[in-house]
Amino acid sequence: MRKGFMDKLESRLMPIAEYVSKNKYLISIRDGFLISMPLLVVGSIFMLISNFPVQPWIDLLKNTTLAGTSIASYFSNVTNATFSIMAIFVVIGIGYNYAKQENTNMIFGAAIAVLSWFMLMPFTTMYTPEGASKAVQVTSIPLDWVGSKGIFIGILCAFLSVKIYKWVEDKGWTIKMPNGVPPTVGQSFAALFPIGAVVVVFFFIRVLFTLTPWGNAFDFIYKILQMPLQKVGDSLGAMMGIYLFAHILWFFGIHGTNITDSVFRPILYALSAENLAALQAGKPLPHIINTQFQDLFATYGGAGSTLSLLIAMFFFCRSKRIKELGRIAIIPGIFGINEPIIFGLPIVLNPTIAIPFIIVPMINILVSYITMAIGMVPVCNGVIMPWTTPPIISGFLSSGWQGALLQVFLIALGVVIYYPFIKTIDKQYIRDEAEVENNPKDDDISLDDLTF
Amino acid sequence: MKIVTIYDQIQSGMGTKDDKMLPLGGKNVPIGPGIMMTPFLKQIDAKIVACLYCGTGTYLNNKEMVSKKLCDMVQKLHPDVVICGPAFDYKDYAQMCAEITESINDSTDIPAIASMSAENEEIINKYKDRIYIVKCPKKGEAGLNSALQNLCQAAKALAVHDKNIANIKEYCF
Repeated sequence: MRKGFMDKLESRLMPIAEYVSKNKYLISIRDGFLISMPLLVVGSIFMLISNFPVQPWIDLLKNTTLAGTSIASYFSNVTNATFSIMAIFVVIGIGYNYAKQENTNMIFGAAIAVLSWFMLMPFTTMYTPEGASKAVQVTSIPLDWVGSKGIFIGILCAFLSVKIYKWVEDKGWTIKMPNGVPPTVGQSFAALFPIGAVVVVFFFIRVLFTLTPWGNAFDFIYKILQMPLQKVGDSLGAMMGIYLFAHILWFFGIHGTNITDSVFRPILYALSAENLAALQAGKPLPHIINTQFQDLFATYGGAGSTLSLLIAMFFFCRSKRIKELGRIAIIPGIFGINEPIIFGLPIVLNPTIAIPFIIVPMINILVSYITMAIGMVPVCNGVIMPWTTPPIISGFLSSGWQGALLQVFLIALGVVIYYPFIKTIDKQYIRDEAEVENNPKDDDISLDDLTF
Repeated sequence: MKIVTIYDQIQSGMGTKDDKMLPLGGKNVPIGPGIMMTPFLKQIDAKIVACLYCGTGTYLNNKEMVSKKLCDMVQKLHPDVVICGPAFDYKDYAQMCAEITESINDSTDIPAIASMSAENEEIINKYKDRIYIVKCPKKGEAGLNSALQNLCQAAKALAVHDKNIANIKEYCF
């Protein structure tokens, strides 16, 4: 790669990366979503057990009852308590993290985020009783809005409410308790006016929205913001563009996916949740692109799909250095940890390996998308797995045996693409090592025989 | 100009965060960040003659022995300058870099320099008046390229005993 081109690319991309990595809102979104992650993974495990792709098992769970309730519905309780209300966790997480970024009380940040969000939420669900012909309005917290459909407005509520809270606090409009009052008591009094201000503002927002054709802020944001964003996110072009950007950043030593995740994750989560809801309802899965598609089919063994690189290093390289590194890094690599080769090979700032490092994930995305679009491989079912789940297992759990097979194929394809590049480095090292062998000095420096 | 670098298990590519007990070793060819620095080494007309490495646990468990062995090896290799780092925001490695840099400066006639990110505040405050610590980004943050360039420039200034210390200070904490 020509140095001039790389310099130009760096000077263009770095300001964007720096802006995104330091932006308070984006950091709060990224870290806020992380809070919901373990909850969704645990919920997924229960979901997976009750929907394990073996029909007799599913029938058994459905037909066995305990105190009049089927075992399957006990399992779906866990899914309901995690996936169906996932936006609540996300709103708490973002409110908390944004308050942290703004240097204000984090727990109140989380609380007012949820409070303001609920203030805008229509507390009614339309329900048709059995035998009745007309639907009736029932007062309730609508599961629709506390699930994936409520995420985007939740993010906005979290930012706006914490902003108001902080603004009032900074104005000094707080009740100050005399010295000697326990700090927690003091804090709750200090929060009174800022919370009051948040409630007043959101009270008026709610009233204003009832006067619009949408009737409430949730419908408005869903139709105006979330749906269009999801449409853009649910496209092959967006996914490939984002991965291209992330991997170029990685080449410069910047955690690329960390940056793109802050923008792209909310969209992917919403798409996943819609797939999961469809799975539960027994309907066809609507979105090829989603969280699992990114985590399980775009890269294997960490950024750059370095598991393929490691396999090429392990089986086809002859130099001592690369063989040794391959041996050490392959086990962590299977679990998605590729730090040893990111810095040790290294991949960062190493132009020889940059091309396959950027290309392989793009090809993975392209091939996976096509195979799923034509129906060869089932679309990911929305079950969230930890990113450390090894391929083949992850593919099987998410897309059946076809998914596992696709992963094997993509890893092998990656090995083929990485092969000529790593071989170039390998040949160079073999030459170096041969040179060293002809010299009395050894490649390895031993510090063992030093005595004092 | 000859340079020796000192890395932990991650930077040397010999292990993950958990492989702390990697024994002391070395290569007489550039590895890890040594390769990342290639273009900047050319700018200062320098060559890495050895990369020494050690797991952070191995070092912290037996500081005196490891430090002595590293100083002795540095003396034996006799480079113009030693670079410890970049340690990014890895705390244990940053501590190792700072302490070994100081040991090399104190017990050999070869200058040494460390590099870490601002997250290692405690270590930086303790050592910044005693050794040169070049600023680098935390892991995954922007600015690695320019940090490596600064590290090379600072190393050169130290190696040639640049009278104008301000040149180095500009890159340091």
